[in-house]
Amino acid sequence: MHALDWVIIVGWLTYIVSHGIRRSTGTKEIEGYFLANRSLPWWAVGLSVMATQLSAVTMVGTTGQGATDGLRFVQFYFGLPLAMVILGVTLVPFLHGARVYTAYEYLERRFNPATRSLTAFLFLVSRGMSCGTIIAAPAVVFSAIFGWNLWWCVSLIGGPAILYTMIGGVQAVTWVDVKQMFLIVGALLAVVITLIVKIPVSPHDAFVVAGQAGRLRVFDFSFNLTNTYTFWSGLIGGTFLMLSYFGTDQSQVQRYLAAKSVDEARSSLLISAYWKIPLQALVLLVGVLVFVFYQYNPAPLLYNPAHERAVVAAQPALYAEMKQRYEASHILIERNAIRAEALDLASRVTHQPAKDVNYIIPRFVIDNLPIGLAGLFIAAVIAAAMNAISGELMSLSTTTVIDFYRRWVQSDIADDRAMVVSRIATVAWGIFACVVATYAVSLGSLIEVVNRFGSFFYGSILGVFLLAMIRRANGIGAFIGLVTGMLTVGAVNFGFPKVAFLWHNVIGAVVVVAVGMVVSLMTPPPAPARAVRR
Amino acid sequence: MTEEDGRRRFRRNLVRVMAVQVVTLALLGYLQYIFTP
Repeated sequence: MHALDWVIIVGWLTYIVSHGIRRSTGTKEIEGYFLANRSLPWWAVGLSVMATQLSAVTMVGTTGQGATDGLRFVQFYFGLPLAMVILGVTLVPFLHGARVYTAYEYLERRFNPATRSLTAFLFLVSRGMSCGTIIAAPAVVFSAIFGWNLWWCVSLIGGPAILYTMIGGVQAVTWVDVKQMFLIVGALLAVVITLIVKIPVSPHDAFVVAGQAGRLRVFDFSFNLTNTYTFWSGLIGGTFLMLSYFGTDQSQVQRYLAAKSVDEARSSLLISAYWKIPLQALVLLVGVLVFVFYQYNPAPLLYNPAHERAVVAAQPALYAEMKQRYEASHILIERNAIRAEALDLASRVTHQPAKDVNYIIPRFVIDNLPIGLAGLFIAAVIAAAMNAISGELMSLSTTTVIDFYRRWVQSDIADDRAMVVSRIATVAWGIFACVVATYAVSLGSLIEVVNRFGSFFYGSILGVFLLAMIRRANGIGAFIGLVTGMLTVGAVNFGFPKVAFLWHNVIGAVVVVAVGMVVSLMTPPPAPARAVRR
Repeated sequence: MTEEDGRRRFRRNLVRVMAVQVVTLALLGYLQYIFTP
């Protein structure tokens, strides 16, 4: 990396943190801190919602997936536009009109404190762990590529986000997200243009090469419960997942609760509905074009530089022989087999999982992008991580204060004290996420465990909110339904591990609603005040 | 803006959203059809 690249990275981080802190006006009270006094315009909320979703995992992981697996991952998002429209018509006007701070606050009005607290607790656990993995993914990559200490990488990514989130609240988070989205999309387009220029064949021929290697296979219409990425799992399972995530996860709900009006809240969701699939296709396309680039240029045998250094030190002759065979071969199947051998060797030498899909794009960027653009891309990766972290920290702090501290510890808390508690909660969750990030790295597969862990809850939590819309459903039904839903998903996950996790959301939601209604019908109906939605 | 204006704008945006998705999916389908053996 050139000095100019570092100037760009440091300059951007300094600018964005100071911008976030300057945006802290009007956040002296908790309504300003948590909901920006419900004053945000729809386009800012919409871009912020997209930014929270577009984390560093997307920038390095999804692009890498495009290189190794092609475009079919885009099917994962087919349910998103449908989910946004459904939410715009149902839950959004409902929650916005209820004048709540959190989605779970509403559950107490509708059902009972137990349902509210259990749902909020599940959110805190899954979102807290998720925040750690969002920091871990880019931190590991930076540590391997630049040879930096992991804690330094975790602090570089987490520290600035914790700072401006703590000081500026959701106002700072939203406006920083808006600016960072332009950087991220700009960086992705810059990489695409660079690739088109550097690939020595025409775009048409590049697509022919990608197509021959199966990288342009988007649609899989097979109905196979064990195949993760199919049209049906994306459309059906994905709709349930997105309904739950955007409808009931506080990290998203808090954004549109901060919008000026119901109309603006709905419009903000529609921005995500518009652009999510095209944006994901662009991200995956970057990976596909990098794959094509490496068909015409020498490709690393191992993309993780730290692993490569370890293997060269431990088995220099064997690695050199593998590299020779790899560079001499022009047959894709043969090259993939040699890569598998090299990855297996790296795994044995380092005693770590050797899968290096997350390193493909960063390695390409560092080795091949012109001076300045490499810095732009690295800044965009850090920006994407910060966007996601800040949104999650904000929601964790809000739920901690509103659903637990104010609910159970001090219900008549004054605003100035609530602000102190909120800021402490933000920092505490930030530190927790940084610690989880470090721990997640040393236990490699924890990232996968956390994703599956989160998928236990999303469908079941959605089921609770669906029950809330059925007049006859009562608090006992909701609570028992929620527990049963989670146990059922757990049983499916351990008993039938081949069932793709997207279907867990459908299973959880259906079981919660079914069991919740059965229990509700067997027990006294809710009081009229609770049966009324608001 | 009245509620009716808000609903009208939502319906208009809904049509635009679906149009963007259809165009995107059609382009992706075209890529797959033309370039995948």
